Amino acid sequence: MHTYELLAWLILAFPLLAFVIQIFFGKRLPRQGDWVPVAAICCSLFFGLILFFMVIVGEHDPNFVFQVSYPWFSGGSLQFDWGFHIDNLTAVMILVVTVVSSVVHIYSLGYMQGEDFYDRFFAYLSLFSFSMLLLVLCDNLFILYISWELVGVSSYLLIGFYFWKHSAADACKKAFITTRVGDVFFFIGILMVVLYIGEFNYTKVFEAVAHGELTGWVLTIAVVCLFGGAVGKSAQFPLHVWLPDAMEGPTPVSALIHAATMVAAGVYMVGRLFPIFSASPAAMLVVAYIGLITAFFAATIAITQTDIKRVLAYSTVSQLGYMVTALGVGAYTAGLYHLMTHAFFKALLFLGSGSVIHAVHTNEMPSMGGLKKKMPITFWTMLIATLAISGVPFFSGFGSKDAILAASLEFGMTHWLHMPIFLGLLLGAGITAFYMFRLIFLTFFGEAREPKRYDHAHESPYSMTVPLMILAGLSVIGGFGLYGGLWFNHLVVPPVIGDAAHHAAEGHGAHGSALAHYGAMALSILFATGGILLSYLVYYKKKISAEAVAGRFPVLYNLSFHKYWVDELYGKTVIAFVMWFRMVLARFDNKVVDGIVNATAPALRGVSSFSGAWDKYVVDGLVNLIAIVVQAVGAVSTLIQSGVIQNYLMKVGIAVGAILLLHNFILRIF
Amino acid sequence: MGNVESLSYFVPELILTVAILIVLFADMFGMERGGFDLPGGAALLGSILALISHVWLYSQPATMLFEGMIAHDMFSAFFRGFFLLCTVVVTLMTMYSMEVIHLKKGEFYSILLSICIGMCLVASAQNLIMIYLALELMSLGSYILAGFSRRIGRSEEASLKFVLYGGVSTGVMLFGLSLLYGLTGSTDFSAIQQVLISSEKGIDLTAFTIFLLILVGVGYKIAAVPFHFWAPDVYEGSPTPITAFLSVASKGTGFALLIRLFYSTLLTRSPAGGFWVEVGDIDIDWTFHLAVISALTMTIGNLGAISQNNLKRLLAYSGIAHAGYLLMGVCLLTDVGLQAVIFYLVVYLFTNLAAFLVVIIMVDTQDEEGMNGVRGLWARTPIVAVAMTICLFSLIGLPPTAGFVGKYYLFVALLQGKLYWLAIVGVLNTVVSLYYYARIVKAMFFEPTYTEEPIRVHPVYAGLLTALVVPVLYFGIFWDSLARYARYCASLITY
Repeated sequence: MHTYELLAWLILAFPLLAFVIQIFFGKRLPRQGDWVPVAAICCSLFFGLILFFMVIVGEHDPNFVFQVSYPWFSGGSLQFDWGFHIDNLTAVMILVVTVVSSVVHIYSLGYMQGEDFYDRFFAYLSLFSFSMLLLVLCDNLFILYISWELVGVSSYLLIGFYFWKHSAADACKKAFITTRVGDVFFFIGILMVVLYIGEFNYTKVFEAVAHGELTGWVLTIAVVCLFGGAVGKSAQFPLHVWLPDAMEGPTPVSALIHAATMVAAGVYMVGRLFPIFSASPAAMLVVAYIGLITAFFAATIAITQTDIKRVLAYSTVSQLGYMVTALGVGAYTAGLYHLMTHAFFKALLFLGSGSVIHAVHTNEMPSMGGLKKKMPITFWTMLIATLAISGVPFFSGFGSKDAILAASLEFGMTHWLHMPIFLGLLLGAGITAFYMFRLIFLTFFGEAREPKRYDHAHESPYSMTVPLMILAGLSVIGGFGLYGGLWFNHLVVPPVIGDAAHHAAEGHGAHGSALAHYGAMALSILFATGGILLSYLVYYKKKISAEAVAGRFPVLYNLSFHKYWVDELYGKTVIAFVMWFRMVLARFDNKVVDGIVNATAPALRGVSSFSGAWDKYVVDGLVNLIAIVVQAVGAVSTLIQSGVIQNYLMKVGIAVGAILLLHNFILRIF
Repeated sequence: MGNVESLSYFVPELILTVAILIVLFADMFGMERGGFDLPGGAALLGSILALISHVWLYSQPATMLFEGMIAHDMFSAFFRGFFLLCTVVVTLMTMYSMEVIHLKKGEFYSILLSICIGMCLVASAQNLIMIYLALELMSLGSYILAGFSRRIGRSEEASLKFVLYGGVSTGVMLFGLSLLYGLTGSTDFSAIQQVLISSEKGIDLTAFTIFLLILVGVGYKIAAVPFHFWAPDVYEGSPTPITAFLSVASKGTGFALLIRLFYSTLLTRSPAGGFWVEVGDIDIDWTFHLAVISALTMTIGNLGAISQNNLKRLLAYSGIAHAGYLLMGVCLLTDVGLQAVIFYLVVYLFTNLAAFLVVIIMVDTQDEEGMNGVRGLWARTPIVAVAMTICLFSLIGLPPTAGFVGKYYLFVALLQGKLYWLAIVGVLNTVVSLYYYARIVKAMFFEPTYTEEPIRVHPVYAGLLTALVVPVLYFGIFWDSLARYARYCASLITY
């Protein structure tokens, strides 16, 4: 067995085993078995790190691919296999998933202490980790879809973990159903690819697409359908509505699933299937614009939210929009790089907010304030993450966001029509800095607005703060990947399909022209600083009153505060339509069907004498006949199974005689 | 091949023979003392050794043994493995079962092993005399074992019914065999086939009568309608390990007998390959006749099961229904059909033995084989409840269990054979069967139990149950290896 193959097996096996042990025996183990999943994910992390360094440092080859596949079964002409596809992107994703997952596991030891169903929580976490790792490691569309659904299920279970709360139960249903809408498109997309190409394996599909086996409008539709899956899972407009509600789940879950890993699965999928996506420029534009809309409009919503987790949720939606836009304009490396950096700092922000919530027992920022002194570790680590997401130089977010902006500027410079993409993202970057610092100022600075809560607040235990510090470190050093053309930029490049595509792939990446690069960098620093300054003036110095501004522009404020009424819009349209249709059907039953019955009544009355006779002799007769037949079958079967052996033997004799007779005399006649 | 050379191919049967002697000898040293079942251990060891030597014989090419009396081909090898595996499992079941705690357990094992030899010979016989002798060897043993719990009245009753019913059925079958001999003047399969190929027109009636009379014997073994009457009574009355053995191994023998005898005398392999056709000028639609029997068997089996409350009786009817499903594959007379049958038999082996093991656990721990025993089982012993659920799902044919794949192959074979009406009957029957299997699942998980007291399952039973259930799941997900194996085994020796 090859080393990579062995590593992949080990990485997958530990969480799966932990899930099985935990779900069946967790309750009976000491400490409710929480150490089993934690130990398992740490083992996965260990082997993940080995894999990462072997691939990134050891191989150090942009075109490195390791593939192994095992036959599963063949259905007609289709061969269903499963296997591993390991390249640089896989290695990076494995690192992200195992690191964030282990950190969240450890954090949960403190955060979930004493909750009901403590053991089950860890079982679900293991199931999720396994599914996500499978999603990253698998080598074909079939397994991709299976693991795609598996992460969906585990997300459903974890969002609804507090299932006795109505809001949580509603949220998990909403998340599941909304993402299903995207999944259906994803499934159609996979079916289209398989229908035209007849293969599931990534490499074979890519080669077939490169050879033009799937082209034209069919390809465009297939790609848009595939992208539909990403829209659902990565909470892109217009299916983003589930993610803010998903914050009903425990905070570690929000950090793991709804910030760092599962929501990034959509982006990862687009990246993984990039050779198919990039074959259709029209579909790529759809991707870019959906991303842009999401990035900008989620950022504007985040400005006015008061629930700390909801701010972070909309921020996540917005950042996912950045990644999707990057992939849409062809900046493969930049988009996936942002995926990695974002995973670290957003997980950190969520875990930090969890720490705050743990201390003050509320999600509402207006009830917080002045927590800086009480919770120094939480404050400093969250500040680092905030600097990173705002795109301040020397933090990880700067490198990745700058790369995205540069790529979109370059895209805008070649196609002037698409300049709005760059402008929207740039403005969005400013807004991001503004609302993130708003969060910091409202939570940690100023005077304590609710002294009672403030007095009880305390720094969280080490099991929670150590993960914060680890992630804070990663949020800083994660940025070095792109500086000076270090490994990420060099290694994570679009896969090369055949020789012909080799030159085409060269132009992509985050290099860009010098003008685009430095221009974007300068502008992005400018906008980030602007956002931070504005936030400082409004929420720290109170030079500008937020209420006054809100009062001046009530329309804009309400649009943002009510999230553009998208939920209400769906309630009034899609859901209302379903409910209306249900009413229509009920009415159809009531009015039309019953009406027909009522209308025919007089007519029937006219012929009632006939009908009476008909009923009596034919209908009743039929009903009675059925009853008689059923009874007879019962009677016959008891009669047959009389328990008397002579009887049985006689029946065998009769049967043999009857068959012989039937065969020789009756069948012969026909 | 001559007699002496043939012995090297006969190692598993020889090992079993030696094991029988050792078991009888071991029985003389009282087993009560140490508590360990010495004869049982010997029988277990013997059957496992036989199984190992059998696997070792696998790679040998197909050939005729003992001057053409029996054949060594993939088909017989498959069934030998099937029966040996069954014997190992049933021996283990018996060793720890409370039902057959009996001073004369040594007799029990030695009879079990001789039945196994008989079964192996049925699957490989190439001669009418041989096949009849082998059949009697296994039948006589089965009669004794069915009545082994002599203290219980219904066990005696079961045994007596079994003897009478079996005696008449095999007698009728013997009449069929003698007609076949009379028609062709030979007891050797290849000679019979040669004579029939060159026979003149006008023997249709004789051929059909022979077929029908043989079918009485075969139908009795596999419990096919209208020869199934004994099954519910005997299954209910016998000690449960024997019921398990009858429902799997005995049924398997019936199918081995049917395929071996029918496919190599009245049928001949088509030169086009892939299917069998009538020999000579005989013009009878075998497929139709067998298909009707198949449809009747599964329908009556499933309808009968609906109102049963005794689990053994219910599983008896379910076994009748499964004989019907298996006949769907046999009646096609194609390679694909045979492969499906072999695949399904393997699935059936694991699933049914596991289901009966659950019944044994019920009987041993609470002396209850009715629906009452399984009520609320989930709360009392979750592992057994989950295992039983998997078995029942497999019997229904739900994914991801092996039963689903087995049914899938059967239906694919039916569609390829263009026997659409039978496929529809089969699907409808599956739906009916859902009702009574799901009733057990419902009772286990959702119905209140009369006591919350947990059931302590013997560790050997727990291990055995796991060992039987894991393949059911495994082959439900990774069935390709088993499918390839079935394709490999579905080849009879041809002349």
